[in-house]
Amino acid sequence: MTAMQSPAAPTAARWRAIVTDPIFIAAAVAVAIVLVGQLVSPGFGAYSQVVGMVRVASFLGIMAIGQTIVILSGGDGIDLSVGKTATLGAIVAARIMDGSDSRLLLGILVPVLVGAVIGLVNGLGIAYLRIPPFVMTLGMTGVVAGIALAYTGGAAAGRSAPALTGLVNNRGLFDVPGVVYVWIVLIVAVTWLLRRSVAGWNIYAVGSNRVAANLSGVPVRRNVIMAYVASSVFACLGGILLLGYTESVFLNLADSYTLPTVAAVIIGGTLASGGVGGYLGTAIGALVLTFLTSLLSTMNMPESWRTITSGVVLLVLLGMYGRQRKLRT
Amino acid sequence: MASLDITGVDKRYGGVQALKGASLSVAEGEVHGLLGPNGSGKSTLNKVMAGAVRPDAATIRLDGQDLRIHGPQDAHHHRIESVYQQLSLIPHLTVAENLVLGTEAARAGWLTPKAQLVEVDAMLERLSPVLGGGIGPRTRVGSLNPGTKQLLEFAKVVLRRPRFLVLDEATASLHRDQVALLFAMVRELTAEGVGVVFVSHRMEEVLDLCDRATIIRNGLNVATVDVKDTDEQELVRLMVGDLARAAGRGERPAPSRDGQPVLSVRGLQAEGLADVSLDVHPGEIVGLGGLQGQGQSELLTGIFGASPAQAERIEVAGDPVEFRNPRSAIAAGLALVPGDRASEGLYSVRSIQENISTVTLGRRARAGLVIDARAEKEAATSQVDALRIKIGALADAVSTLSGGNAQKVVVAKWLLSEPRIVLLDDPTKGVDVGAKAEIYAIIRDLTAQGVGVILNSSDDVELAELADRVLVLYEGRIVQELEGTDVTHDNLVAAALRISDDDTKES
Repeated sequence: MTAMQSPAAPTAARWRAIVTDPIFIAAAVAVAIVLVGQLVSPGFGAYSQVVGMVRVASFLGIMAIGQTIVILSGGDGIDLSVGKTATLGAIVAARIMDGSDSRLLLGILVPVLVGAVIGLVNGLGIAYLRIPPFVMTLGMTGVVAGIALAYTGGAAAGRSAPALTGLVNNRGLFDVPGVVYVWIVLIVAVTWLLRRSVAGWNIYAVGSNRVAANLSGVPVRRNVIMAYVASSVFACLGGILLLGYTESVFLNLADSYTLPTVAAVIIGGTLASGGVGGYLGTAIGALVLTFLTSLLSTMNMPESWRTITSGVVLLVLLGMYGRQRKLRT
Repeated sequence: MASLDITGVDKRYGGVQALKGASLSVAEGEVHGLLGPNGSGKSTLNKVMAGAVRPDAATIRLDGQDLRIHGPQDAHHHRIESVYQQLSLIPHLTVAENLVLGTEAARAGWLTPKAQLVEVDAMLERLSPVLGGGIGPRTRVGSLNPGTKQLLEFAKVVLRRPRFLVLDEATASLHRDQVALLFAMVRELTAEGVGVVFVSHRMEEVLDLCDRATIIRNGLNVATVDVKDTDEQELVRLMVGDLARAAGRGERPAPSRDGQPVLSVRGLQAEGLADVSLDVHPGEIVGLGGLQGQGQSELLTGIFGASPAQAERIEVAGDPVEFRNPRSAIAAGLALVPGDRASEGLYSVRSIQENISTVTLGRRARAGLVIDARAEKEAATSQVDALRIKIGALADAVSTLSGGNAQKVVVAKWLLSEPRIVLLDDPTKGVDVGAKAEIYAIIRDLTAQGVGVILNSSDDVELAELADRVLVLYEGRIVQELEGTDVTHDNLVAAALRISDDDTKES
């Protein structure tokens, strides 16, 4: 009996490893949502519908790049300032671009620099003053909100550059808007950086054991600071793309994105305590969240039930990940 | 007379059998010494009694009745209480809060805090002559010195009215007067019928306080003796054993100490260390001996730049250096295999590959930034083969490995850095016999290549087998140096014990 089973065992084990992988589960859930949507409301799963949802998911996905890196870097890492930072990025970009393609480049560079400064302050506070990330980034949210208010005087001005709006809204190759291609390039690039660069491996090292990393000569503080800089920079980039979507800004444009970025990271299978995970999972997590929101809206579910359903789906997924992690060890 | 009997205790940690059929029998009203060299299994046996360690097998009987101790709660329930060398006081709470900690709930409903405070006050009054000034029930514990904390730890347990009391190195940081008071209180407890297990490295204390003593060695009982019928030499002989002669350094010729030292440290100061100076010559293994926790680990991390330390001068091969962090020490050719593999040595959730690569990743990367996957794999494979690390695949998490193989992974990451000086903090702790021998071979290989080694070990046999010279530490100072043929297991045990005796007499 055992002799008969043993030759098949390696492939069975490999299959189980794939099927219990959070990335696989999340992807399966994403596909399932589309299928259910198609059943409930024919047309939900149509090509152009799905592409439209992926476009919407790209804003969340890009803002969650930095969140992924921050959470991977461990030490209770979390960046609660991404939403507000993205909003400020969009506000600055709109003011600079002011509807003109000639200032597009400047309108991207300046907000990204602003983001880098915000992330640097977050990182310095967390790495050197040892302020817990939760507290530091929550405090930073207030500071950034104040800066946005002072900068705009309470009324946001300016418009997106037409080229930016075109990138987000006009459909290109295969009827897919440019912003989705931007996201795909970023997925490949970030995944590659995490897996194939010294900085990427060091982030995993720092995230899994800071003491061991320090004793192995890995510059722990520098890596932590870089993670928060990356978080704010990608938040601003996401904010700029969101500006392309809305064309004009308002003072709470991207504020509500903060918690969804954290949810996307966790749904994507990144360990909340750091050291394990990656960006591909987060990207799929962003798709799951966006698909689910679309489905619930399509079903005309009231706001309260949509929130409850999203929460329950998140908890069920986490419960499944927790179970299979226990089984693995 | 009622007694607590614990027999046939087996406990295995990974590949190491800490206890194999050990036993201990404590009668009511006696002080029972538990003696044995470092790593003999004393602490494990005590923790089994306290419910802090689940044994693989054990029979525990109280008053002839079988007892189940599956956790600390069970031990508390039967009023078996322990004082450990490691302190369990909570720094942010006050003295009074710490003293009643964990017993408030059990007495809730009928004992008001006020009534408990009366008990606490009486206890503090009793301790006041040796507690030092300005310590009251509302003092925060965090600011107190180790001796005071240890006394409070003892007081906390006494307030729980134990029937059996385990004192595991509970006098290690106490002054003479404090020890005297603690002994007086222990004698009062035994007069009331409490049974006490007493562990101390200070022979004088054992002879003074204990009625009987059980000696264990390598997890086995050697003897139980009446203390009044024995003397210090006899106890030390029982602990060391007639057979446990180490093989010695073997055929390896003593390295020359004429040339320039590869590492020279002068006047190193740090927390737990006072003015330590030492030289390590190429090819030499300098051992750090003495009782554990006398500053050996602090010395290694201090040299490595991993903990705050000031030195008058540190030279690597004659060049003055200053290590502000491990990174700079690594750049100068140092390596540290830390004392706690899981929390300091490994990224347990990451792959074996990443764990081996981590120190030298930047050296092999293209432009120092981009990882060459093939080069990483080759580097890791070369070490896995050379050190004969038993793994499934390089991509497996390092947590899948046994203690010995995990430790070899830590060694492997350092070998890739081609160090000139290797600092080893108890490198074979929790490692099985086979892997131990292989790690010894690796260390000898290093010295053959002219690497200088500092080896801290909790195992005196290990020091006797490997070290060319041993510096014996006590309370953060080097108090004795054993060299060449003097580096024997007996001398190491004796050196550690004699020092602590002298100290008790002086202070």
